Amino acid sequence: MSTANDSAGARLILNIYIGLFCLYLFLPLAVMSAAAFNSYDYPSVTQWRGFTLQWFVALAHDGRLIQGLLNSVVVALGVIAVSIPAGLAGALILTRLGQRSGTVLYSILVSPVLTPGIILGISSLIFWREFGVPGGLFVAVMAQSSFIASYAMLLFLARLQRQDRTLEEAALDLGASHTLVFRRITLPFLAPTAFTAAVVAFLQSFENYNTTVFAIGGEWTLVTEIASRLRFGLSPVINVVGVIFVALTLVAATTYVLLSSRKKAR
Amino acid sequence: MASLFRAYGRGLGALLILIATLWILALILVPLGAMIEQSLWWKDSKGDITLQIDRLYNDMATLQLDASGESDAAKKAGLEAQIAQKQAEATALEAQETNPPKTYGLANFTRMSGLHFYIFIRTIIYALMVTALALVVCYPMAYAVALASGPRKAIVLTVALIVPYAINELLRVYAWLMILDYRGVINGILGWLGMVDLDNRGWIPFLENPSAVFLAMIYTYVLFMVFPMVNTLETLDRNQIEAARDLGASSFRIHRRVIIPHAKPGIAVGCIMTFMLSAGSYSVPAIMTRGQGGDWFSQLVYRQFFESNNWNMGSAYAVSLLVVCTAFILIMMRLFGVGLRDIAK
Repeated sequence: MSTANDSAGARLILNIYIGLFCLYLFLPLAVMSAAAFNSYDYPSVTQWRGFTLQWFVALAHDGRLIQGLLNSVVVALGVIAVSIPAGLAGALILTRLGQRSGTVLYSILVSPVLTPGIILGISSLIFWREFGVPGGLFVAVMAQSSFIASYAMLLFLARLQRQDRTLEEAALDLGASHTLVFRRITLPFLAPTAFTAAVVAFLQSFENYNTTVFAIGGEWTLVTEIASRLRFGLSPVINVVGVIFVALTLVAATTYVLLSSRKKAR
Repeated sequence: MASLFRAYGRGLGALLILIATLWILALILVPLGAMIEQSLWWKDSKGDITLQIDRLYNDMATLQLDASGESDAAKKAGLEAQIAQKQAEATALEAQETNPPKTYGLANFTRMSGLHFYIFIRTIIYALMVTALALVVCYPMAYAVALASGPRKAIVLTVALIVPYAINELLRVYAWLMILDYRGVINGILGWLGMVDLDNRGWIPFLENPSAVFLAMIYTYVLFMVFPMVNTLETLDRNQIEAARDLGASSFRIHRRVIIPHAKPGIAVGCIMTFMLSAGSYSVPAIMTRGQGGDWFSQLVYRQFFESNNWNMGSAYAVSLLVVCTAFILIMMRLFGVGLRDIAK
């Protein structure tokens, strides 16, 4: 590659930089994970009091965190149910619209991605109060869906750009109904993207804090519960939650790397 | 419209339009309108209304006394009419007291206190600094991922960038909180070395310094800066770099004249996302400072809503923030000549 021409010194500096950058990315996570196994009751790695799994047990008995986890899953499923159809409809409409009307619609549908999360939370909270719905899991679903639907739409749009339309047209010419074409050609073509979009929506919803904290009212999700605890001080139980996330992510990432390098080798 | 029905048929086309309309109205435009409307009115809670009501009841009590001592039927009827009138006035005022009339205007925006305005400006400056720092820190990384390494290494680096992102935003902030806290990792190490005295609270208060928030914020939003740049840099023809080098350009000059100009749209998108996220971030400052360091504007918005319970003022603050973010986006799009379609990757 072009780096063959780079001077050895420049390459060395770049490699050192990459190393430092990765350290910056991973050292905090490593520290956080290590402290989960320390029996000291303040999360620490410098005050090591011996290996323990007691904080995992404490997490299992922590009713509010478990309930928060369940609430997070409920909200995430709700977000998927709202944002996948919305994103799909938006993308299908946009691919068939002319340049000018398309641009206006596109701007509106993409705008939530560029809006600060707290503002999405606030506007949903105010809007739903007009209907007598106070902040809670439902409003959180609506607030999160407003921007997650945009992400889903962008994924569908990218996929639709690669679509071969002649297939649909041929089916229509041969007398198939629109519904049949949609069910047998369009939907199967978009199915893999729908799956990806659902995964993305789940992750986005699960980790969302800035929007949720305004919309959640008196209820709580895993993330808002953790945040409100951090006000009163740190606890190794939170580190355990962190370890679980790190472990799940690493498993997923390793699988991905192995799969993609195998694909390359083929 | 017609093209939609032609492509999807009447029933399906109508369904798609219905769903999209619901999305636009119920999730995007009307909530936004409701927030703006909320920011444009307030209810005056005049203290003197209560005083007026008290006075009316006093008068009524006096009249009542007069009326009970009055033997002349005509005069008594007159007094009772007066009492009834005062009672009606009092009832009207009481209704106002419990539900004061809305007044529309811009006062929620102009009434922002000097301190809050200072925090508003400071938040914008901080967010700009975070954006600039993130750009400087991320550029070499984006260059490495897109151009300076083989395909295998690029995959590993990409995954290395995504992994921290897949872990909860809050937990990423928490990790830094642990490191920088009074009894955190850095102070712990310094304590070992005998440089600080933890037993006598002689720790270094990293969290009270705004740079602690910067550090955690860049850490949290790094991906939004790196990926747009990687996306544009990947489309750069490497022959251009080789040609420039063959013609004798220095590395610095190649970056300045070939690579950075090509990365411009990516830089613009990265800056827009990072600025928007950091200016509107509630999680990072709220958790990192715990009220000890300087507030960010998002914390003021939160307090207006959930501590002062003043939704009108809070909405006005939120609208101000939205205006700044929108202005930043428009300016960047103008400066870098990118369209909305480039922003959404």
